[in-house]
Amino acid sequence: MTGNNTQFDAIVVGSGITGGWAAKELTEAGLTVLMIERGRKIEHQVDYETETKSPWDMEFRGQGDAALYAREYPVQMLNRHFNEFTQGHFVNDAQEPYQKAPGKDFDWFRSYQLGGRSLTWGRQCYRWSDYDFGANKRDGFGTDWPIRYAELAPWYDRVEEFVGVSGAAEGLAQLPDGRFLPPMELNCVEQATRERILAKYPDRVMTIGRTANLTEARPEQGRGHCQYRSICARGCSYGAYFSTQSATLPAAQKTGRLTVVTDAQVHKLDYDPATKRVTGVHWIDTKTGEGRQAHSRIVFLNAGAFNSVHLMLNSASEAMPRGLANSSGVLGTHIMDHANTMAGMAVMPGFEGRTTFGNRPTGIVIPRFRNLETMDGKGFTRGYSFQGGALQGTWTRGKRMAGIGSAYKEGLHDIGPWTMVLVVFADSMPRASNRLTLSNRTDPRGVRQLEIAFEHGREELAALSDAKTEAAAMLTAAGGHVVMGFDRPGHGGTSIHEMGGARMGWDPRTSVLNRWSQAHDVPNLFVTDGAQMSSSACQNPSLTYMALTARACDAAVKMLREGAI
Amino acid sequence: MQWRGLAGAMRVSGWTRRDFAGGVALFTLALGIPAAAVKLTDLAAEDAPSDRQSTLMIEVSDLVIPRTDTPGARDVGVGEFVVLALAHGLSRTRAPMAAETVTAALVPFRRRDGSLRHLAWLEQVLDRAAGGDFLRQPRERRAELLSALDAQAFAQGAAFSPWTAIKGLILTGYYTSEAGGSQELRYDLVPGKWEWDIPITPGMRAFSSDWTAVDFG
Repeated sequence: MTGNNTQFDAIVVGSGITGGWAAKELTEAGLTVLMIERGRKIEHQVDYETETKSPWDMEFRGQGDAALYAREYPVQMLNRHFNEFTQGHFVNDAQEPYQKAPGKDFDWFRSYQLGGRSLTWGRQCYRWSDYDFGANKRDGFGTDWPIRYAELAPWYDRVEEFVGVSGAAEGLAQLPDGRFLPPMELNCVEQATRERILAKYPDRVMTIGRTANLTEARPEQGRGHCQYRSICARGCSYGAYFSTQSATLPAAQKTGRLTVVTDAQVHKLDYDPATKRVTGVHWIDTKTGEGRQAHSRIVFLNAGAFNSVHLMLNSASEAMPRGLANSSGVLGTHIMDHANTMAGMAVMPGFEGRTTFGNRPTGIVIPRFRNLETMDGKGFTRGYSFQGGALQGTWTRGKRMAGIGSAYKEGLHDIGPWTMVLVVFADSMPRASNRLTLSNRTDPRGVRQLEIAFEHGREELAALSDAKTEAAAMLTAAGGHVVMGFDRPGHGGTSIHEMGGARMGWDPRTSVLNRWSQAHDVPNLFVTDGAQMSSSACQNPSLTYMALTARACDAAVKMLREGAI
Repeated sequence: MQWRGLAGAMRVSGWTRRDFAGGVALFTLALGIPAAAVKLTDLAAEDAPSDRQSTLMIEVSDLVIPRTDTPGARDVGVGEFVVLALAHGLSRTRAPMAAETVTAALVPFRRRDGSLRHLAWLEQVLDRAAGGDFLRQPRERRAELLSALDAQAFAQGAAFSPWTAIKGLILTGYYTSEAGGSQELRYDLVPGKWEWDIPITPGMRAFSSDWTAVDFG
C-alpha cells in the first residue's frame, strides 16, 4: 500500500473476476478503492513467464515434476489446466490447506494471485434464463431468487460489451443471446453433427462455445485479437482473453482512485454493533507476517465463493457469534458445484481427408433441453448441458499401440482420426447439508482452515444417467461410433464452479443477502462472487457473477449518494 | 535448446537423498508445518540409475524411435529424459501398483512404497530374453527382442506390463523434443488464425502444438 492512507470509500477483497469488476465499477463511479489480494502480484505481459516457452524449454517437457506435484500440489494437479507451464498460476496445496468433512471429497482448485482465477478460467460465458432464476420456486429446492432475468439483462449487456464475448445468436429461451463478437466457426465434424442432431432432435441446438476471447481487436482497451494458441492459462500478452489484468484492472487504474495491495491475506472484518456497519478489514502481510488494517464506508467481498464465506465465518464477534451477517444461520450452507463427467465419446468416420489450422480456445455447447416447458426428466427436476467438441488425434495414440521402429514412427506423424467428446454439466441442487464450516486446524499463518462437506445427491446422479444415454443417442445420430461414456460424477469441485454459502433471498430469516447482493444484517457489506448464488443452473457461472457485481456496485453507489449506507 | 545431459538434469532436479531431504527441510521450515505432514515421494539415492540402466534406456528409446529422415530418439536425448521422468514418477510411475497387477515376476522390483522399479525390471526382462547381455546383441536382434516384448504388452487382453508406461514416456520424450516436435511433426506456437476446414494433403504432418490433440487425442 502506498503511503499511510488506511481510509477508503470502498474495500474490495479479492482481485479475480468479480473483484476486478468491483474495482472498475466503483472507481469509475468516483470512489476511492483499496483492492486486497492474498497472493502475489502478477503484472500483465511482464510476468507471464512461460507464455512463449516450448515443451523442450521446460525441465519436464511441460508435464511437470510429478514428485513435486504429489508433495505440494496433490489437488491442483488434478485440474486439466494445471501443468508445468501453468503451475505458477495455482496455489501450493501444502501452503493453502483445507479440510474435507469425514468421508467426503472435494477438490478445491484455486489461484491465489493478482487476477485470481481470471487468469486460469475456462472463459465460457453464458447467460442464465428464468428457467434458472425461477428454478428454486418451481421445484422447492433452496430459496426463491429475489431477481429474475429481466432485471439482470441490461447488466449482462454491460459486462459482455466490456469483456468481449464471441458467440453465435441462436434465439433460445433457455440460453439467452448476448452482445456477441463474431463467433469462431465450428469445425467440419461439429457442423455436420449440429445438422444431424437437429434433424433428429429439433430442440437440441449445438452451438459454438461463447467465450471471452476476442475475435476482433480492441485497441481502445489495449487488447489484441485471439492468436488461436489455446494456451490461455499461461497468461496472454495479447490481452485476447478477458482477465483482471487485461481488462478491469487497467480500467480501474486509469481513474487514479485504485490502490492495490498484494500478498495480503484478509482474515477478519470489523463489525460495529452500534451502527450495524462493517468498519474495516484486517489482513496478514504474508511476506512479513505482520498484521495490517484499513477502513472504508463499504466492503465488497470478492474472495471467491468459499473464501468469502470463510471470511464471514471467521469474522464472528460478540454481536454476531455465528459469523458476520449470519443472523439467519444459513451462512455456509447450500453450497453447490455442477455434477460433471464425460458423458460420451465417439469416433466420427467420414471426415478423413479434412483438418483444421490453429487452436480454437473454445468448444461446443448443447444447451439444456430437459425440464423446460415439459417436466421430462426422470428423477430430476432441472437440467444439464453438454460441452465438448470434435478433435483429431496425434502422436499420443502411439502410447496405446504396438510397434517399434521406422514404420511405427512414420505412422505416428499423420493427423489422427476424428473423435467427438461430450462432457456434461448438471444442475447442483442447493442442499443445507452441503456446507462450509470452520475447522479447528489452522493454516501456516495461524488462520482457522475451512472445512468442506459436500456430496452430489440423487437428482444429480439421475441427470448424469440421462445425459449418458442422450449423449450416446446424439453421437450415434451424428454418425459416430460411441466408444465410451460415464454417468458417475467426479468429486465435488471438479467443475470449478463452486458457489453458494451466502445465498440471496427475499427473507432475512432464511438468506444472507438481499436482491442487491447486500447483507440483510449489514447494509454496507456486499458479497458479489459465487457465494451469493441461490441455485447453480447448469451454465458456467462467471458471466452471471460479473453482471451481479456490476449491478451491486451501481446499487451501492446510489445508496451511498442517498446517504442510505 | 540442447538437452543438457543426465548430470545436468540431476543437478537441476535435486536428485540425491541429501539434496532432496535438505529441500524438504527448507520447505517445511519456511511453512512452519511439521515434516511428517509432508507426503514424501522420496527420490532415494538407490533409485539413481546405474550407468548400464541409463545406457539401456538410451538404446531402447532409439529402437522405438530410430533416426529416419528426421533425428531419432538417441539424437535428441530421449533415454536421458525417460530416466529423469521415471525418477520423478511421471505418468504415475511412482504410484503404488494396483494389487491385481502385481504378479510374481514383478514382486522383486517393487519398492517399499509399492511402486515399481521400472529400469531394473526392463534390464532384467531384456537380458533374460536375450539369454545374456541384451546390449551386446546386434541391433537387429535387439529390435526383435524388444518388438516381442512390445507385441506381448499390447496384445488384445494382455496382462499389465510396465513396458506400456516406459514406451509412453519414450514417445513423450521424443515428440516434446525440439526435433521431434518441430521436424518430425509441425510446431506453431502462434497460429494467429483459425481455419475450420482445410483438406489434408499427401504427406501433411500433425502439429505437436495441437494441445487438445495431445491431451485428449
